[in-house]
Amino acid sequence: MEKNEETIPDFSNLTCTNLMIRLKMILKKTHPDDAVEFYVRRDQRDTIEVPFSRSGYNVKIQKADSDRYRISLKKKPGKEEG
Amino acid sequence: MSHVGVPLSGNTGMNPHFFLLGGTVTAERLSWIEECLKFYFVKINPSNLLHHTKGQDDVFTFLLTGEALYSLHNPAIVRIWEILLALPSVTILCDRQELMLRGISIEGLKMKNPDQVIDHNRLGISGKPSFWNDVARIARQHEQPVPSTIGYLLLSSPYMHRSSLAAVQCLNAALEAHASVELYAYLDGIHCGHTGQKPTEFENIGEGLEEISEKAARRGLSCQMIACNRCATARGYSTWDDGQGQVISACTIRPFRIRNMNEIIERFAKNHLILGEDIASIQIKKGAQESSFPLQESGRVPPLTIFISRTPYGTETAFGGLSLAVACAAQGIPTRVIFIEDGVYVIAGTHVVEENSRIFNLQEIIDATAGSSNLQFFIFIPSLHQRGIAKNPKMTAVLDIGVPELGQLLFSPHEETQAGHQRILFF
Repeated sequence: MEKNEETIPDFSNLTCTNLMIRLKMILKKTHPDDAVEFYVRRDQRDTIEVPFSRSGYNVKIQKADSDRYRISLKKKPGKEEG
Repeated sequence: MSHVGVPLSGNTGMNPHFFLLGGTVTAERLSWIEECLKFYFVKINPSNLLHHTKGQDDVFTFLLTGEALYSLHNPAIVRIWEILLALPSVTILCDRQELMLRGISIEGLKMKNPDQVIDHNRLGISGKPSFWNDVARIARQHEQPVPSTIGYLLLSSPYMHRSSLAAVQCLNAALEAHASVELYAYLDGIHCGHTGQKPTEFENIGEGLEEISEKAARRGLSCQMIACNRCATARGYSTWDDGQGQVISACTIRPFRIRNMNEIIERFAKNHLILGEDIASIQIKKGAQESSFPLQESGRVPPLTIFISRTPYGTETAFGGLSLAVACAAQGIPTRVIFIEDGVYVIAGTHVVEENSRIFNLQEIIDATAGSSNLQFFIFIPSLHQRGIAKNPKMTAVLDIGVPELGQLLFSPHEETQAGHQRILFF
């Protein structure tokens, strides 16, 4: 998690479905070796953790505040999205 | 005006395939439905064509209310209805009150097909006939789980759209049929739950929903009214959010609960019937033995087919259908999205959304979510041809289909499903 704090997007205003759609769109455009980082609320964290872990991503979660989490998604080597 | 029976399969636990149509039925829509039914009778179930086994389980019932009734008055569309009625075991059941309101006569069609075109509705406990008593009877018999539940997906606002009244009438009839009821408010359907409605020339929808909740409680039946958080927040209903899925609104009626979309999808994961303005339910024939606990088994989640039939961007409808499909698939519900009629514009041309725009590019959503588990995209090629447009060649994740493939998708069960029916929703 080496990115500049200011460049990390905050998706906490998105609903869970739209967050999932937005992330899939970003991941599609991101090189598999690069990680996608962003901030979300606690309920959004719960929505992201299991589905993306199951579909071939390493999910790193760091608590930033009481209801704010910094998430990093990176494709597991040799995995296709399920 | 007693009831004339809809040819259900009675006590066998089997149910007819049915279409519940309340929106405008165009010649285009009825034509592809007709082609698909022909495919069913010729390719999938030819024995029915030969023997006309009426009264058994391969019955197609068209439940028509609201604007759909005008299709029985339009000569070009009536011709298609006549072809459909010539097929085995096809029945049309009309909402008599709505026919009378519109001054639509269906006598010609009734005289030619007296056993198949029905415009007398079942009496309820109140002693009044109602089309929704017939609908509830069909829905109540679905798989016969105990206790039974009937859901309703509400997409339209009240007063501008008469379909909001249909939701109230439908849920009232469901309670009369001793079913628990669930309302899912989505897109503009959210507005039906606004507090303080005081219409002077229309039934009060807000009060109607509150009365349903009270009536359910008196009868010991469950009543849930769940509103989509995204749609409610966009429309100014979410006045306090605890960040964990609990949203409190100062402007919704008491039974309405604003919740994360996933809470609605959890209800979709149960196997009850979900009705709406334009929906269908296709029976899935069971090969394996039935379970005694149909509500608890994950394999019995009804697969979902969403027809996106409207143009993108002009309204929230196409995005709403797509968003619901993505959410359902993510929750493990086998989901198919079929772009048809004006919905093919979603896949035509190359859509460009300005970089800082807040709206989603629907083509990008499809591209990004294609390949996800439980989610498939299709485009009905005859709809493209009819409009003289071409599919965006980059949209390779959306598979081309014609009538035979559409027939297969509708009438051949999803692999490995143990569900009793397939849900079809029109957006």
